[in-house]
Amino acid sequence: METLGYLMHGFGVALTPSNLLLASIGAVVGTMVGVLPGLGPINAVAMLVPVVFALGLPPESSLILMAAIYIGSEYGGRISAILLNVPGEASAVMTAIEGYPLARQGKAGIALSLSAWTSFVGSAIATIGIVVAAPVLASWALAFGPVEYVALMVFAFACLSGLLTDQPVKAMLAISLGLAISTIGIDANSGVYRYTFGSPNLVDGVQFATVVIGLFAISELLIMLEFMHGGAAVRIKQMGRSLFNRSEMLFTNMATLRGSLIGFFVGILPGAGGTVASALAYTTEKRVVERAGPEGSLFGRGDMRGLASVEAANNSASNSNFIPMLTLGIPSSGTTAIMLGVLTLYNLTPGPALFRSQPDLVWGLIASLFIGNFILLAINIPLVGVFARMLSVPAWVLVPFIVVVSTIGVYSGKSTTFELVLMVGLGIGAYFLRRLGVPMAPLILGLVLGKILEQSLRRALSLSAGDIAILWSSPISIVLWTMAAAVFLAPLLLPKFQRWRRATITADE
Amino acid sequence: MNNDRILGAAAIAVAAILIAYGYGLEAPFAYEPVGPRAFPLIAAAVIAVCGAILVLKPGAVDDAQTPMPGRAIIALSGSLLAYSFLFQPLGFVISTTVFMVPIAMIFGAKWWQGALTGGLLAVSSFLLFDSVLDVVLPVGPFGGIV
Repeated sequence: METLGYLMHGFGVALTPSNLLLASIGAVVGTMVGVLPGLGPINAVAMLVPVVFALGLPPESSLILMAAIYIGSEYGGRISAILLNVPGEASAVMTAIEGYPLARQGKAGIALSLSAWTSFVGSAIATIGIVVAAPVLASWALAFGPVEYVALMVFAFACLSGLLTDQPVKAMLAISLGLAISTIGIDANSGVYRYTFGSPNLVDGVQFATVVIGLFAISELLIMLEFMHGGAAVRIKQMGRSLFNRSEMLFTNMATLRGSLIGFFVGILPGAGGTVASALAYTTEKRVVERAGPEGSLFGRGDMRGLASVEAANNSASNSNFIPMLTLGIPSSGTTAIMLGVLTLYNLTPGPALFRSQPDLVWGLIASLFIGNFILLAINIPLVGVFARMLSVPAWVLVPFIVVVSTIGVYSGKSTTFELVLMVGLGIGAYFLRRLGVPMAPLILGLVLGKILEQSLRRALSLSAGDIAILWSSPISIVLWTMAAAVFLAPLLLPKFQRWRRATITADE
Repeated sequence: MNNDRILGAAAIAVAAILIAYGYGLEAPFAYEPVGPRAFPLIAAAVIAVCGAILVLKPGAVDDAQTPMPGRAIIALSGSLLAYSFLFQPLGFVISTTVFMVPIAMIFGAKWWQGALTGGLLAVSSFLLFDSVLDVVLPVGPFGGIV
């Protein structure tokens, strides 16, 4: 019952006029960002990092805005997937498989409204899950000391490289590059300057906004160039009936429920966001339907159950992503990693203590997820045509817009040419790394967690006067180390799992 | 040459730089058993190990990869670098108007479409950020909007 009281308090925070306005703006912007191929939630949230500081927003309002954009983009991603067969963002890849054939059969309106509805159901189930699970997990995690934190972060890194990518080595490389970047600047414990190369610009480290904007927004522009030369996709204009009916809803209810649950549990794991969740939900749903009776299956040719489960799963996952972020301080996707980085910029230490020390922030954010989802459902069914028109914005308007907002954002922090050049340099470097198959989200996770990991490690070893055995001295840490080893080694030992992963995960984000 | 090998070699080079500059990091007064250099060196070691794995066991060459549009990449990188170097000296409005033309053209605009986009973006975002949101932008040699 205590939880309900906190939740009511959270609604009080989220329903203040300014926070309600931010959630609505975030929902609209998020949907737009999701619609546009090449501008995912991670780029949008990255570009917002300096903006929220320029606006002088308090931490809970910043997170409410960013969270609304994040969940909104999951709604938006489905629009371009269904109408254009081009996923607006990575986790909508599976949406296109069933959604586009439906649209070609003249059922675009049904596919869009049905997927908006299942997105909403998935999100709602996941947000209820957050309310139930997060406080429990947080109170349990309060017992974590530096020793457990070291093990937990290693487990998160193992999940990230084991689950996310085709080549775990490259994810590991990205994580360690992030860790290395986090050490740049003055060392808080000893006052020693690390990797500043005598430059005053690097004394207090690399600005977080510069790194995320460079790695995501700028490198994305270079990636966009490659798709410029591909043929233009055919956009479906015929919308058909604009709302799904009762029998279609009953037909897809079980698929939606299964997708929501899969998404919820996958979203909790570090490193496995909407992309993995939607792939897993799709393959599961296909198997369930085909086992029940292969003659009724339209999978691959526009089966509403496939569409429903995928959309429920990726929205559910993007909401349950907030559980590890809020309770453990371990983000499970690139976008939540950026939000966590924003918290540290407000001098807040992410982790279970937030539930005690910042109830406004934690519960305001959770309540705003509920509100944001209602707003998204409300705008996504009637206004879908307006958002679809975004697809005709030419790249030559979009790209200069991204460049200008990114540049102003980075410049607003320290007002130096150095930061701007660093942003572009990192963007070009990130482009080549991405071309070579190195994912960027783990790099950001490494960067965000680097300082906390180093501090935990040093604190743990101070407790034991330098004896490393302390790192596996408690039962919780032993469990975490074992789980880390299992996650990291399982893909190497199970060729079948590896094949499945290769077949289902094509895009990494 | 396999792309993974190049990546691996680059990773080893980065690790070598990190170790070379990190090895000498020592605190004048040590209060704790682990000093400032341990963590960077661990990160460097993991980077080196990943690099070595990539060099010794590179993945299969991916045939599905699209060819890199080399000239466009160079043009865009060059424009972005020039913009970031000249942003402060030329001022926000002038640099934005000038450099958005080539950037828009790389993405298929005609020159006047680029100039229109750049000019509108420059003036409107200057008004929004500098005048409304109090984000200080460089005014350049002529001052203000011009």
